[in-house]
Amino acid sequence: MNDPINNILKKQENQHISSSKEDEHESENIIQLVGFIVGDEEFAIPILNIQEIIKPIEYTRVPSVPGYVMGVFNLRGNVIPLIDLRRKFNLPPLNQTPDTRYIVMKHEDNVVGFIIDKLTEAIRMNADHIDSPPDNLQKEKGMVQGIGKRENNILTILKVDTLLKRDF
Amino acid sequence: MEDLKEIIEDFLIEAFELVEQIDQNLVELENNPEDLELLNAIFRVAHTVKGSSSFLNFDILTKLTHHMEDVLNKARKEELKMTPEVMDVVLESIDDMKALLQEIRDKGSDQESNIDIEDICEKLDAISKNIPLEKKEEEPASQDYSNMSKDEIEKEIERLLQEKKQESKKRKAAKKGEVKKEKPKVPQKPPQVKKEEKEKIQKISPSSMEQTIRVEVKRLDHLMNLIGELVLGKNRLLKIYDDVEERYEGEKFLEELNQVVSSISIVTTDLQIAVMKTRMLPIAKVFNKFPRLVRDLSRELNKDMELVISGEDTELDKSIIEEIGDPLVHIIRNSCDHGIENADERKMLGKKEKGTIELKAYNEGNQIVIEVKDDGKGLDPEFLKQKALEKGLISQREAETMGNKEAFTLIFKPGFSTAKAVTNVSGRGVGMDVVKTNIEKLNGIIDIDSELGKGTVMKLKIPLTLAIIQSLLVGVQEEYYAIPLASVLETVRISMDDIYMIEGRNVLRLRDEILSLARLSDIFGIEQVYETNEHAYVVVIGLAELKLGIIVDSLVGQEEIVIKSMGDYLQGIEGIAGATIRGDGRVTLIVDIAALMDLAKNIKTNIVAQSQIQKTKKQSPSDYNILIVDDSKTDRTIMRKSLDKLGINIIEATNGVEALNIVKSNKYDFDSILIDIEMPRMDGYTLASEIKKYSRYKNIPLIAVTSRTSKSDRLRGVEVGMTEYITKPYSSEYLTNTVSRNIKLPLTESV
Repeated sequence: MNDPINNILKKQENQHISSSKEDEHESENIIQLVGFIVGDEEFAIPILNIQEIIKPIEYTRVPSVPGYVMGVFNLRGNVIPLIDLRRKFNLPPLNQTPDTRYIVMKHEDNVVGFIIDKLTEAIRMNADHIDSPPDNLQKEKGMVQGIGKRENNILTILKVDTLLKRDF
Repeated sequence: MEDLKEIIEDFLIEAFELVEQIDQNLVELENNPEDLELLNAIFRVAHTVKGSSSFLNFDILTKLTHHMEDVLNKARKEELKMTPEVMDVVLESIDDMKALLQEIRDKGSDQESNIDIEDICEKLDAISKNIPLEKKEEEPASQDYSNMSKDEIEKEIERLLQEKKQESKKRKAAKKGEVKKEKPKVPQKPPQVKKEEKEKIQKISPSSMEQTIRVEVKRLDHLMNLIGELVLGKNRLLKIYDDVEERYEGEKFLEELNQVVSSISIVTTDLQIAVMKTRMLPIAKVFNKFPRLVRDLSRELNKDMELVISGEDTELDKSIIEEIGDPLVHIIRNSCDHGIENADERKMLGKKEKGTIELKAYNEGNQIVIEVKDDGKGLDPEFLKQKALEKGLISQREAETMGNKEAFTLIFKPGFSTAKAVTNVSGRGVGMDVVKTNIEKLNGIIDIDSELGKGTVMKLKIPLTLAIIQSLLVGVQEEYYAIPLASVLETVRISMDDIYMIEGRNVLRLRDEILSLARLSDIFGIEQVYETNEHAYVVVIGLAELKLGIIVDSLVGQEEIVIKSMGDYLQGIEGIAGATIRGDGRVTLIVDIAALMDLAKNIKTNIVAQSQIQKTKKQSPSDYNILIVDDSKTDRTIMRKSLDKLGINIIEATNGVEALNIVKSNKYDFDSILIDIEMPRMDGYTLASEIKKYSRYKNIPLIAVTSRTSKSDRLRGVEVGMTEYITKPYSSEYLTNTVSRNIKLPLTESV
């Protein structure tokens, strides 16, 4: 009587084990990223560096800082700096659109919000498809972590710790 | 291993506490050498440290404390008199002990330290054996065997052997005679100590021994942070209550809400004070080291001085206590060295021979005042000015216009020293500069008063705590800033005509003082989006000994704020001390007074000239901008057609939200806005009241264009700030006239 059930259970168990093994194997090579657009280009950052993504809220200007530092905003009781990535990348500033978002990134204890034009999607990418940045880009203060190759386009993966480092 | 570490930590905490106490006791002891209780207390410290350090294998420390114990034990049994000479040695040994303890704290062992204790141990030995101090030098000389020949050495050895034999014989003989004396002495010693200790404890416990618990400072900091959040929440709640009260005036539930809000507000404030108090330490912790300092200085400088301390139980935040020590050392040194005269000089002047320095601490509002007062020769303003001139610190003109008080502050300039000769103690011109920087760091104020021949009083005014502060909120254009209230001396409303230019500086004559002025908008580079009024508010801030008037557009009020860091990324922005979150959830920046004063020095704009230029800006009609807000295309076109004749710029919006976005974007500088009342998404009333929230549009003429004609509608319009009310249908002429009248369009041939 019990045999068929046991068999099924066993089968499931086996499947489970094998699938979890597969997962493990996969997660070694798969990197999860979040893609977004600034200007005409698509960028991405590792999902683990993202604390949250919010719609634009009011911010307070801070004096004596470079133009790309827009100011600070209140994220549930914490005061967080806000940086406009368009200006940081020397692109002409754009007024806010309904697609504009703040991506709040963290690295160690440092938390900073970035203004981006538009979110695209969550991306799973095999580490094999990511090249180290070309030499001519390396000069850009090491902001680029790698270039992700996809079927019909490429995307620039940004280095979060450099983005969060104060460079003035 | 972990256990041992913990024990060492405990030992260090205990030892440092004991050592702190000992300094105070020793100086007191010198004044009454017979005080057995004091002697016992000091002895016990040496004894305790010795015991624990030998257990923990700190050999050097053990050796030192052992020698100290010997001397103190003798003194305790009245076999030795505590003369100033003996005291010097004991104090020196305590300094070494402190150094060793610090070494242990930093490196975990006393073995690698460079502190040489041999010398001091010898001195201590000499005292305990009753050998006069000077003899110590001779001993090593007589034991120099290296130059002796073989024979001589042998002879010497023989002699020494003989000596030893004799000594031991003597000792044996003595022992026989003294057996009865010595034997009970040894076991008696410990119980004797214990008994005294017990007595002491019993004496203390009913009155001053309070039950305490040791808590890590980190935990208190965390608690303080949480309270900070609570204070922000409370501020928010109060603000919401105000809004609700306005909207539902007279409703019954308001009463209940009011009760809850006020009780939460009171509890939060109490809680905040309670936690603040846990971080407070009596200032005695700092004051305790000064009797020793003055004593050492009076011996070194050969002056007769005493230090009178009062208010030592006044409490201050721990972090401030840590910062306040150094400046006070410099001030007291300065008083001893420069202030108090020699005994002979004092006698000639008919003063008491003994100079007095008073050190006083007391609370004054939200501040604590520390006062150092001496009855020495006082500061001579003319002499100070001359000295500063010689050193090129001020110009001849500055010297001439300088008042007495300003002249006194010259002593804080780096590189300034009035001592005729550089002594060991002061005169290098570094000390008072340090005082200024440290007090500035604490947002404190220094006030000097002096009378020639009578003495000097120096007052340090320091805020009680650093984490939650009272602030004055000011508005500049569209931005708000918080100024720590502790630094605000006063606020005044002035007319632009009161401002003068002197040597490229904007100044204001305030009573009998000349005050430098700077606009906050210039300092922080705030865009001038709307004209400054004829009148301006000046916030007079003071820091250490400096004063500055800051021109702002509006004074918002006083608010309790919690200082928040802006994260690593924006740490240390010039002029900004931090940020806080206000009741409405917005972030407001806190001004760093010290940096602000520096920044203000570099600003050279002529405020008076600039405000005149601004008035003559608009010339042709095309310089004027008007916004039309209406959801009907036809209506907009009608309005545009009539207004086009005026030759002014017209911008259109289809509803309130869109209009508000255009206004917010700051793209145009509008002179008037025409508003339809009935619109989708946001009606005209709401739009009007939103626009009026922007200080640059506070006085903009808002013209309602509507088919609503009832009296209540008009009334509502007036309430939200509409200046005109045009009812549809209207003649095109009426519209153009109303608009051009409101924007004060210069009459041209356009009609």
